Amino acid sequence: MTQAIQVVILGTLLGGVYALMASGLTILFGVMRVVNISHAAFIILGAFFTFFLWESTGLDPLLGMLVALPVFFIFGAVLYRALFPRVEGSPRFSEMTVLLTFGLAFMTEGLMTYFFTGIFRQTAPSYRVEAFEFGSFYVPTAQFYALLASVVLLVCLWAFLTYTHTGYGVRATMQNRMAAQIVGVDVRRVSTISFGIGMALAGAAGALVSFLFPFFPARHWQWIAILLSLIVLGGLGSLKGAVIGAIGLAVISAFVSRYIGPVWSPMVFYGALFIILLVRPQGLFGHQARV
Amino acid sequence: MTDKPLDAVTETALVSAEPIVVDPEVERRRRRVRITVALVILVLVALLPFYRSLGAYNYVLQIGVSIFAWIALASSWNILGGYTGYISLGHNVFYGVGAYVSALLLIHLGISPFLSAALAGLVALALGLLAGLVTFRTQGPSFIISTIALLFIVLVWFDAWSLTGGSNGLSLPLPPFSREWLRVPFYYAMLLAALAAVFLGHRVQHSKFGLALRAIGADQVKAEVAGINTRLFKVLAFALSAFIPGVVGAIFAYSISYVRPTIFFLIAVGARMVLMTIIGGRGTVAGPVIGATLIILLNEASLTYFGATELNLVITGALLVIVLLFFPAGIVGSLRERGKLPAFLDWD
Repeated sequence: MTQAIQVVILGTLLGGVYALMASGLTILFGVMRVVNISHAAFIILGAFFTFFLWESTGLDPLLGMLVALPVFFIFGAVLYRALFPRVEGSPRFSEMTVLLTFGLAFMTEGLMTYFFTGIFRQTAPSYRVEAFEFGSFYVPTAQFYALLASVVLLVCLWAFLTYTHTGYGVRATMQNRMAAQIVGVDVRRVSTISFGIGMALAGAAGALVSFLFPFFPARHWQWIAILLSLIVLGGLGSLKGAVIGAIGLAVISAFVSRYIGPVWSPMVFYGALFIILLVRPQGLFGHQARV
Repeated sequence: MTDKPLDAVTETALVSAEPIVVDPEVERRRRRVRITVALVILVLVALLPFYRSLGAYNYVLQIGVSIFAWIALASSWNILGGYTGYISLGHNVFYGVGAYVSALLLIHLGISPFLSAALAGLVALALGLLAGLVTFRTQGPSFIISTIALLFIVLVWFDAWSLTGGSNGLSLPLPPFSREWLRVPFYYAMLLAALAAVFLGHRVQHSKFGLALRAIGADQVKAEVAGINTRLFKVLAFALSAFIPGVVGAIFAYSISYVRPTIFFLIAVGARMVLMTIIGGRGTVAGPVIGATLIILLNEASLTYFGATELNLVITGALLVIVLLFFPAGIVGSLRERGKLPAFLDWD
């Protein structure tokens, strides 16, 4: 029993970080119907950014995250303006964006391998190997800080969407792009900001990844497969679905990893996706897809 | 899809039932040209292994094997992705499963993969049928994502399964041919597979089945209203497009004498089929052939000049982005839009 509770604790900690990773993807899909296959590649780019910042100046990765946020926001906004307006009018826009970002993922991976090589890296702040202990349980400090950072960022995101004028625009665009345009939302501007936010979240997640896991460029496929399964499972474009799915599945996969074997733990995410497709094709919190 | 002539054809067939007017004399001449060119290329390709004094004989034959294999794979992918617009990013699952089926039959029962290739194709087809039944419960981006998940399920599974040798894979007994002629049987076997795939693609293009698939690609709701059982046709297309990849996997595994998950189940392998078809022109018969040939030759050239595989990834990605942004209809489609498609590429 003690052991099971410990597994739940570890699973929840990891789930919080997955939720942060998936939230960027969900925003992008919700606002623009863009499925960003390169999201995890940019998370790795964020990890490299924090790593080199830490290596050259000794800046703590958690503070590095604060630097990564604006840098990646600008990067995202520029990338959006450069690539996406060209394909905006095309039929099957979402499929088009899948292929486009698929190409971007290959380019990013190839360039990172070329410039940074394929070896494993990790930032090593002092708290990486520490842990809090409560009675018979322990909470790894690094994962606790990562969860805390994820919660803070997700709350900021929620507050932005709920209380700011631009946030209204973003939510309106998520609900109905054309209607938002009719009532005077500048959809192009909202899309640029959302893409920036999605990318900033990827950069922030990368900063957390830099001390949580050893990373290397080709690692992103494994993550994107998990994240994509998560957002389909939660219902494409549903932030609530992505967060609940992330935490729930991270806990289940922690159990699988502990009792069946770590090789099988990613299977939980893919398997859950197939089960949900059979039972509820629109995802946990999704709406019936419009054809 | 974005291809104007295809839309026009579907629309005519579904909505107005007006015949497409072509000058029969021009059509007959173009037909003669394309059949002649195809036969000449085929004869040259088939005679190549007899030209024994060719420099780097085995290397050239090996490139031939590669090109034929990828023509077969891309043409098969095109049946689903090109006509219906449902993009599978995990199609290499069928290629890999075919390879493993034949490898296991060779190791345990001693059956030559040249014989068991058809069986490997059937196993792939059955798997495609099953995968189609589940993945087609959804559409658009969710469909694409579920094909990626399928790929990763198979990758994790084969990485851990003792029957398939886990991540180390399996070594196959060497083929019983003399060293000197080692490549030749594979060359012809793969050539046959490529021909079969292109022929199948051509049959699909010119059948009611293909028309139904294109109707689904153009507008699924209209297709459904017109009385097409879209779900059945999509599942059939998925299964059909899984068959030849299984066969190709079986032959390819034998030619390299080992199977390992990282050869067959990497996402980059599936990505290649997509890239080739899109560059050549999806929804056309000649597109995947042109795309596969170009990419393999480009790949060999970049390996020779740069040597590094990571730059290969960059080139692959950049090509995909450039083609999607500037020529979404691919080589064949773009030439047709401009009315400049040479007769020998016009098989649609």
